[in-house]
Amino acid sequence: MHTISAKIIIMAAIMIMFFAFLIFRTWTIMRDNGERYKKQVLNQQKYDSRSIPYQRGAILDRNGTLLAYSERVYNVILDAKMALRDPDSIEPTFNAVSTCLGIDTSVGSDLRDYMADNPESQYHVAGLITYEQRQEYETYIANYNATIAEENKNRDKKLPEINKKAIWFEDQFKRTYPGGTLACDVIGFTTSDGRGQYGLEEYYDDMLTGKNGREYGYLTAENALERTVVPAQNGYTLVTTIDSYVQRVCEEKLKEYDETHAGEYRENEMGADNTGVIVMDIHSGEILAMASYPYYNLNDPRDLSMYSDIEVGQLARIGGWNEEFVEGETSEERKEKEESRLEKARQTLWKNFCIAQSYEPGSVCKTFTVAAALDAGVIHDGDSFDCRGYLTFGEGSRATTIRCHQRYGDGVISLKQAVEKSCNVALMLIGQKLGKDKFLKYQRNFNFGLRTNIDLAGEMRTATLVFNKNNMGITELMTSTFGQGFNVTMIQNISAFASLVNGGYYYQPHVVKQIKDSAGAVVENIEPTIVRQAVSESVSRLMIDYCIGVVDEGTGTRARPAGYRIGGKTGTAERSGQGKRDYTVSFMGFAPANDPQIAIYVVVDRPNTASQENGTRNACILCKDILTEILPYLHIFMTEPLTAAERKELEEKGLKDTLSQNSISDSASENEVSAPVPVEEKPDVRVLIDDKTGYAIDPINGEYLDPDTGVPINDDSSIFQDANGNPVEIEVLKDEEEEKLDPRE
Amino acid sequence: MEEAAKKENLKRKRKRRRRPAAEPLTPPDPAIVIALFGLMIIGAVMIYSSTSYTSDLDSQSTFLVKQIRAEVLGILGMGLIYIMPFGVIRWFGRLKPRIVLLCGSLGTVFLLLTPLGKTVNGATRWINLGPIGQVQPAEIVKIAVLIFIAGYVAEKTGAVDTLKGYAIPALVTLGSAGLVYKISNNLSSALIIAAIGMLMIFTASKKWQWQIIVYPLIAVLGVAYFLSKAHAAQAAGDVDNLKFRYKRILIWEDPTNPDFYYEGAFQTLQGLYAIGSGGVFGKGVGKGIQKLDKIPEVHNDMIYSVICEEMGLVGAGVVLILLAVLVIRSAQIALKARDTYSMLLCFGVTIHIAIQTILNVMVVTNTMPNTGVSLPFISYGGSSALFLMAEVGLVLRVARNNNR
Repeated sequence: MHTISAKIIIMAAIMIMFFAFLIFRTWTIMRDNGERYKKQVLNQQKYDSRSIPYQRGAILDRNGTLLAYSERVYNVILDAKMALRDPDSIEPTFNAVSTCLGIDTSVGSDLRDYMADNPESQYHVAGLITYEQRQEYETYIANYNATIAEENKNRDKKLPEINKKAIWFEDQFKRTYPGGTLACDVIGFTTSDGRGQYGLEEYYDDMLTGKNGREYGYLTAENALERTVVPAQNGYTLVTTIDSYVQRVCEEKLKEYDETHAGEYRENEMGADNTGVIVMDIHSGEILAMASYPYYNLNDPRDLSMYSDIEVGQLARIGGWNEEFVEGETSEERKEKEESRLEKARQTLWKNFCIAQSYEPGSVCKTFTVAAALDAGVIHDGDSFDCRGYLTFGEGSRATTIRCHQRYGDGVISLKQAVEKSCNVALMLIGQKLGKDKFLKYQRNFNFGLRTNIDLAGEMRTATLVFNKNNMGITELMTSTFGQGFNVTMIQNISAFASLVNGGYYYQPHVVKQIKDSAGAVVENIEPTIVRQAVSESVSRLMIDYCIGVVDEGTGTRARPAGYRIGGKTGTAERSGQGKRDYTVSFMGFAPANDPQIAIYVVVDRPNTASQENGTRNACILCKDILTEILPYLHIFMTEPLTAAERKELEEKGLKDTLSQNSISDSASENEVSAPVPVEEKPDVRVLIDDKTGYAIDPINGEYLDPDTGVPINDDSSIFQDANGNPVEIEVLKDEEEEKLDPRE
Repeated sequence: MEEAAKKENLKRKRKRRRRPAAEPLTPPDPAIVIALFGLMIIGAVMIYSSTSYTSDLDSQSTFLVKQIRAEVLGILGMGLIYIMPFGVIRWFGRLKPRIVLLCGSLGTVFLLLTPLGKTVNGATRWINLGPIGQVQPAEIVKIAVLIFIAGYVAEKTGAVDTLKGYAIPALVTLGSAGLVYKISNNLSSALIIAAIGMLMIFTASKKWQWQIIVYPLIAVLGVAYFLSKAHAAQAAGDVDNLKFRYKRILIWEDPTNPDFYYEGAFQTLQGLYAIGSGGVFGKGVGKGIQKLDKIPEVHNDMIYSVICEEMGLVGAGVVLILLAVLVIRSAQIALKARDTYSMLLCFGVTIHIAIQTILNVMVVTNTMPNTGVSLPFISYGGSSALFLMAEVGLVLRVARNNNR
């Protein structure tokens, strides 16, 4: 008994000594290696700080339809270190990856090479997958591992399961444009690193961009690692004024136009260098649709496959590419040239023709000249003009003669007829009465030479493309009266035209009407802004009447959609420096005639047609085709009886005769398009304008300011000085320079 | 006279029969109870701390809940043993019951070969009991061997000093250990079983002098053999074909050897990082980093490293002191035991707790080559907790019997 007790005591003592030794051992580890291990522990944590991506804001049309949104996708991350911990499981794991995620994991694939080269790596992006793929992968793993576990019960040599730690997923967002090409010019696209390019994506980049969140560990004063999550802030959502349906109709018609006229005159080329349409609500400046052809796919903006090689060449030439492929150049040189050619073509596609391309507008501008003269009181409704087919002005050697369209003259015509027949001579006579100063003042009233400040990236600056009091001679004044010699953009023209037919109020055009945060709360409402009163209401009424005349019995009869009465003005302009055969044809109109609600502007730049008359006619028909489909949609009802032929045509298109509805639902015609503008907003003229020149004035020192940039204007524009009285060749500002200027400044 | 004697005899018999029932239910030994609950609380906190991060969001406390369930079961078992008449415990030490018990426990080991066996990390160590959970037969064998040896030795004074008397318990011990090693590929449990059995025999022996020469000699020779074999392979550059146990020896000698990083060295190394970075007071409970996907089996065999990282040397010291209290108290109870059986039973439990603690901490601190041993009452593991608590129940019961 005693020996047992003694042994128990001794053994228990040994055990306790062991315990003491273990404490000592623990302490020595801490003492000898504590600092080193502390650093080592923190060193290993480097990837533990994890970025949480924000979701870029969506872009909606006016009815809430998604035009652009960011879809949640996943980066597939390979953790080579974890994978190699269990080498047997690599095969089944990689099998699952290639089966479910479509990532190449065969022997010799990038993934395997990477893993072999970087066995310590814990973060390698192996691919990008959708939510569905991720789910498939996870279901696959669960099933596979369950099956293997079942089977392993009856096996000696166990089969490896899938290693769940070898592959993990990181949230990511991918920009998606459900409409594909729909409203591509308006929306723009985003680069792979999430920056907006062109259109709304660029202009509202700050709003759409959120802030990445972060999950990270940091050291406290006691060297302890704390973990904190800063959630991501998602970007704001834009609600645009674009109406998807109207936009789609416009794009379809432009495409149809192109298909009809492609190769008509110049073989294999497109129907025109550019065609563009803008539909605008004249009572608010809201853009309902803005489209141009050729367009591109927003989901793959670099893709040129929808255009033939000759068309790509045409696009590159429009963009200013003027190299030639020659014999005997090395493949290297050729490749480089080809690359620059494709890049130019892409830039042409990406550029929004409606705001970023200037051209000589032609006869559509006659409406502005007439309105200016009426408003200034130098002519009156009912005045008549004698057109003999030409007009000579200036004296002696400076004498210049400009012809009318009618070689033998229109004879004595009234003011209304002058607009209807688009008589150049009558317009020049009006211009002489108006004079240079007043003409320039009204040009500024209509905002020519200034940016409209539409909320889209890349609006062209046209300040140097219009005349000013220093460089406008008599010839320049004469050509300007019918829209030649100076340059405008489409958006300038339609904004000015809207002011002519809405009572004289010039609205700043805009595309976004509301900005919401990611939770749906309204951050900002963008109300219509009246910049100034361009002409008086009475002049506006007269202009509506004249424009209706153009469509009723003048040059624009083909633009009238069946069942409707509209107003408008045709335009044909010679393109300077492009040769005799090149024109820009257009039709600018409003509807309905009795109560104008929308304005539409169709431009066909360098149509592929044999004669200018054909071109102008085609622009009218294009306009009519669009209006035929969108007016009923916009709840604008027919006012005119239909002929049997028209009825048949409408039935073929699946459209109804809405004449009968007009009388019944009077309130329905007061639809969302014509949201009544509050009266008190009308005197909201924001820019202080000099009456003489139309320039903005600095309220402090009285200097003229460039309304675009806000800097004082340098009046040194002698290069445009016309010494001999000859038409001035106006150089178009290069695109590259234009894009450098931030439109938001 | 005869009648009177008979009456006296009957009275005495009645008295004797009634006596066990009259044994008062004294409260259990407070030191052991406090130490045990202290360890279980620390264990629960550390299990939650080391598993809540890696578990899914909706099951952060899965491990904790399972562990607490096993511990509640263990407390019930402990209580049951405590209120049992001592005769029942003594009965288990008798010839037939102890043989049945041992054979039954070894039978559960054979169950591993049936489809009920569950394999994790290449070793089949659990029997799946469906809804009840899973049980590790090795833990049952430990307690069965303990009872068997105690019963055998106590049966006849000086029995183990004959060759036959020594050979039978030694063969039973080593045979059971070998069986566990062979079937469940579980060296650590086999070593513990062998250690419990052999040390109990040693304790009971009157001729013990040869044993303190022979046992260490066998241990030294064994270690030398394994070391030389591992070194020979390393020198020959034939490391890849070595069995993992030899590799573990090489890892033990140099855990930073990159050749073995993926062979298990990272576990040892990361455990050392955790211990070393803890400092005297630790980083604070729940603030450890190493448990986050760095240390494999962190809630299990490696939990000592988390204790060191989060609670520092102080925490580790508290844990070891509480375990030492258990060891000292049960040794004291063994010393006071009324008979050899109770004494050996008690001391067997003491050996079990001490050996398992020492092996676990030595592995985690890389004082010996890696083998999977859990830290008593702290590590995650239902079977281990359940049967260890049953053993503590035996100790408490013996203590109660001592105080009678």
